[in-house]
Amino acid sequence: MKRVQLGEFEEVVLLTVGILHGNAYGVSIKDEIEQRLNREVTVGALQITLRRLESKGFLKSKQGDSSESRRGRPKLFFEITAYGKKALEYSKESRDELWKALPKLVLKLK
Amino acid sequence: MKIANPPPFMLRFLKWFCKPEYHADIEGDLLELYDRRVEDLGKSKANFYLFIDIVLLCRPGIIRSATFHQPLTNNGMFKSYFIMGWRNLWKSKLYSTLNVLGLTFGMVCFLLIALYVYDELNFDTQHSERDRIYRVITHEKNPNNEATTVAAAGYMLAEEAPQALPEVEMTTRMQRAGRRNLIDPENPVHVQETVTLADEYFLQVFDFPLLEGDRRTALKEPNTIIITEGLAMRIFGRRDVINKNVQFDYMQTPLRITAVLKNHPQNSSFSFSSVMSMATLLNDEGFKREAQGDWASTSFTVYALLREGADPDTVSRKMTRLVHANATLEAGTTLSHSLQPIKDIHLKSAGIADGARNSNVDSIPQGNPVYVTIFSFTALFVLLIAGINYTNLTTARASSRLKEIGVRKAIGAVRGNLIRQFLVESLITTVIAFFAAMLIVALLLPAFNDFVNKKFELFTSAGLRFWAIAVALIIAIGLLSGGYAAMLLSRYNPVSLLKGLKLKTSGDFSVRKALVVLQFTISTVMIIGTIVLFMQVRFLNNTDLGFDKELMVVIDVNVARARSNFEWVKNEMSKLSAVQHVSATSRVPGEWKSIPRIKLKKEGSTGELQTAFTIAADKDFFSTYNIQLLKGRNFQSDADTSSIIINEAAAKILGITDVSDEVTIPLVARNQFFTPIYDDPTTAFGPRVVGIVKDFHFQSLRAKIEPLIITYHYNPIFPIDYYSVKIQPHDIQTTLDKLKAIMVANDEAEPFEYHFLDNQLALFYIEDQRSQTLLGWVALASVVIACLGLFGLATYSAEQRLKEIGMRKVLGANFLSIMALLSKDFLKLVLIACCIAFPIAWLGADLWLQEYAYHIDVEWWFFALAGVIATGIALITVSYQAIKAAVVNPVKILRSE
Repeated sequence: MKRVQLGEFEEVVLLTVGILHGNAYGVSIKDEIEQRLNREVTVGALQITLRRLESKGFLKSKQGDSSESRRGRPKLFFEITAYGKKALEYSKESRDELWKALPKLVLKLK
Repeated sequence: MKIANPPPFMLRFLKWFCKPEYHADIEGDLLELYDRRVEDLGKSKANFYLFIDIVLLCRPGIIRSATFHQPLTNNGMFKSYFIMGWRNLWKSKLYSTLNVLGLTFGMVCFLLIALYVYDELNFDTQHSERDRIYRVITHEKNPNNEATTVAAAGYMLAEEAPQALPEVEMTTRMQRAGRRNLIDPENPVHVQETVTLADEYFLQVFDFPLLEGDRRTALKEPNTIIITEGLAMRIFGRRDVINKNVQFDYMQTPLRITAVLKNHPQNSSFSFSSVMSMATLLNDEGFKREAQGDWASTSFTVYALLREGADPDTVSRKMTRLVHANATLEAGTTLSHSLQPIKDIHLKSAGIADGARNSNVDSIPQGNPVYVTIFSFTALFVLLIAGINYTNLTTARASSRLKEIGVRKAIGAVRGNLIRQFLVESLITTVIAFFAAMLIVALLLPAFNDFVNKKFELFTSAGLRFWAIAVALIIAIGLLSGGYAAMLLSRYNPVSLLKGLKLKTSGDFSVRKALVVLQFTISTVMIIGTIVLFMQVRFLNNTDLGFDKELMVVIDVNVARARSNFEWVKNEMSKLSAVQHVSATSRVPGEWKSIPRIKLKKEGSTGELQTAFTIAADKDFFSTYNIQLLKGRNFQSDADTSSIIINEAAAKILGITDVSDEVTIPLVARNQFFTPIYDDPTTAFGPRVVGIVKDFHFQSLRAKIEPLIITYHYNPIFPIDYYSVKIQPHDIQTTLDKLKAIMVANDEAEPFEYHFLDNQLALFYIEDQRSQTLLGWVALASVVIACLGLFGLATYSAEQRLKEIGMRKVLGANFLSIMALLSKDFLKLVLIACCIAFPIAWLGADLWLQEYAYHIDVEWWFFALAGVIATGIALITVSYQAIKAAVVNPVKILRSE
């Protein structure tokens, strides 16, 4: 598991896709992030991140049926791949390592 | 619930830039959000946010690549077009050859003529400030209301204009003072050079490229000179001659060479080989004084460099005012200036005399705008004829390709595909023809250069712009001629094509007929033009000029001793056995330098002064030139100093009917020719008329025979300048050597410059001769091209009518009737073409002939001949096919069905 580096936003998106499990498409991901993390997400930023994650192999997509609410436009559902999960785990582990290494004193100072 | 729709342009914009595979769901997301926002925030805010979202979607990962929307299959189609085009050309070799040949001929003519025309049109454009340099022209009217327009102006105008007029950045003066020997004092070789003088700004206004020397200081100092590399090679045999000395043989001081110029390009009106600094003259107090009062003379060619954006008309009016403010003009004289752009000097100087030169300096050679126009049109016409050929042959062959077109359409070719296919085909043909034409042009260029007396090289002389224009024009012709066929052939309905219906091509055929008529009209006009030119040139060269021009050696008097000691020279020359007559004159009949004019009237007459040309001659003049004396007597001895002999034209305007009338030649109108021999310059010269000669053409046949006064060689008007030697026809070179020996024995500085008079006379008409030959070739080419087309059409029509011919033969038609059947359609077209061409050609020929005071009449047989040539050639072309069709055995044709 070398050279897998997730950006902060990438990690957020990847996690959110996991949270939404099975119902992760553009708008729902956007809503989820905005609700949970209380931050603005633009369609452009989200889309480009999704595509990038997909092209790296962390996500896979599946076209859903066209739905009335979207005037016949299909939804594109995303799902985390095994590789994506590994990447998340790796990311978490590496953070934990760093946390562990952090002297307690430093935190208490706050 | 009412659905609010986002502005469609936003979604279209998204669709335009977004990668197609991402587009659908992104749009879905956006629309979902949009609908929600419309509910929450209202439509306008929703629109706004949508807009922001879409703009923020413009990111590299989402924007599609620019080339992506070009389907790759198109390249495949083009490849297919090329393959199909190539196969089609290859399949019908005869038509392809005819097409390529026709286009090649057309392009060769076009390229050669275009090289020439382009060169003529781009004279004097090598200077970087060409758009701002103007030549000052003086328009003058004397009290007798005689107008002169001279390309010259006064010294002070050039001196003061840059200070007085803010629009004038710089001026420069030039003067061609005469012809003298320019020699290397250490190693004198006597060759005559024009003495050209110019001031220090000359090299700053014009950027003549320098090999060596400093442009700003080269002409500043007195006694300095700049020379061209050509002259440097001639005098010194090398180019690095800076700071060496040369000397004009009439000057005391040697001149230091301060710069070496490159030779002039062929499209330059400047032909000087050396320029002496004007500062040299300013050393002379007399010149200085005269120059400082010289506002209104025409002794200097003045070039003005105007500032950016200055209006030449305004500036010239200001110049006129400047001159009027400073000069005192003779009462009744009017004077004004105008400015001529330097690029107009070559072609647009009709009516402007080339001033500021001594009468023995040749004037700047002029181009003939009439010929340039005619040539431009012929070049385009030839190309047009070739293009028409292509169109005709392609459309004529349409029906043999109908099945192909039908099948293509049936399996999905849209019209665009077919058009592109035909265009690619015509482009292939054009390109092949273009390369063939380039090859032929390259081969013909040396001969062509000789012929037009230029130095073209295929790629260097005309430059990139010329080739860009030429190639663009040729490709345009290729596309245009292919375009009509493409439009026509791609129009048909595939069902009827595949059912095997015959085309109703009446409309198309009449277009084709019209094109054939057009081709032959142009060709016939060119044939007639050639005939007229040929006859006129022949007329010019063969007309009895009234004097003997054959075997006449004309030797220039170039050194003072050749003039003062002429009795001895004449005597020595006449001792030679090969010399029949010798005469010394100031000018010769058929003079190529300018002949001076004087004013005179009959003694006691109260009328106006008349103008006449004047030649000074000795008593052998008439016998040498075999000029017929009508009345009176020849000059006899030096007692004839104040005798003159006049021609009939002069007798007529002066009202002299008999000899022994006296005429008065008062002070000649102001010009540089007059050098009085009397101490008092105001003394009138009152010679007596002792003889009248028959009119002879002492000028080119373009001009009428003007009044002419022949004075005795020792006279107050003009000294002798030539020896005319009538020699025997055998062993001419030896005679010339002997003549030279005599001249050199007289003065060792003698350069021995001579001309044969008949050659000089032919030079008057060299342009006409050249045009005649050129037009002849072009006419030939255009006829050949038109005939190639006709041949193709005839072949095709014979093929189409094979069955009909077979039937007719079976039913008893004979050979002749079949011939007539096949030929008459085409002959009719050619005859119609002739009918259109005749009046056009007649008008053109008449207009052109008006340029000559003496010219042939346009005769009916010119037209008849041209008509016979055009029809004959067309008939021969068509009949080959007609005969082939007529002799074929009908069984062979009819059996197969």
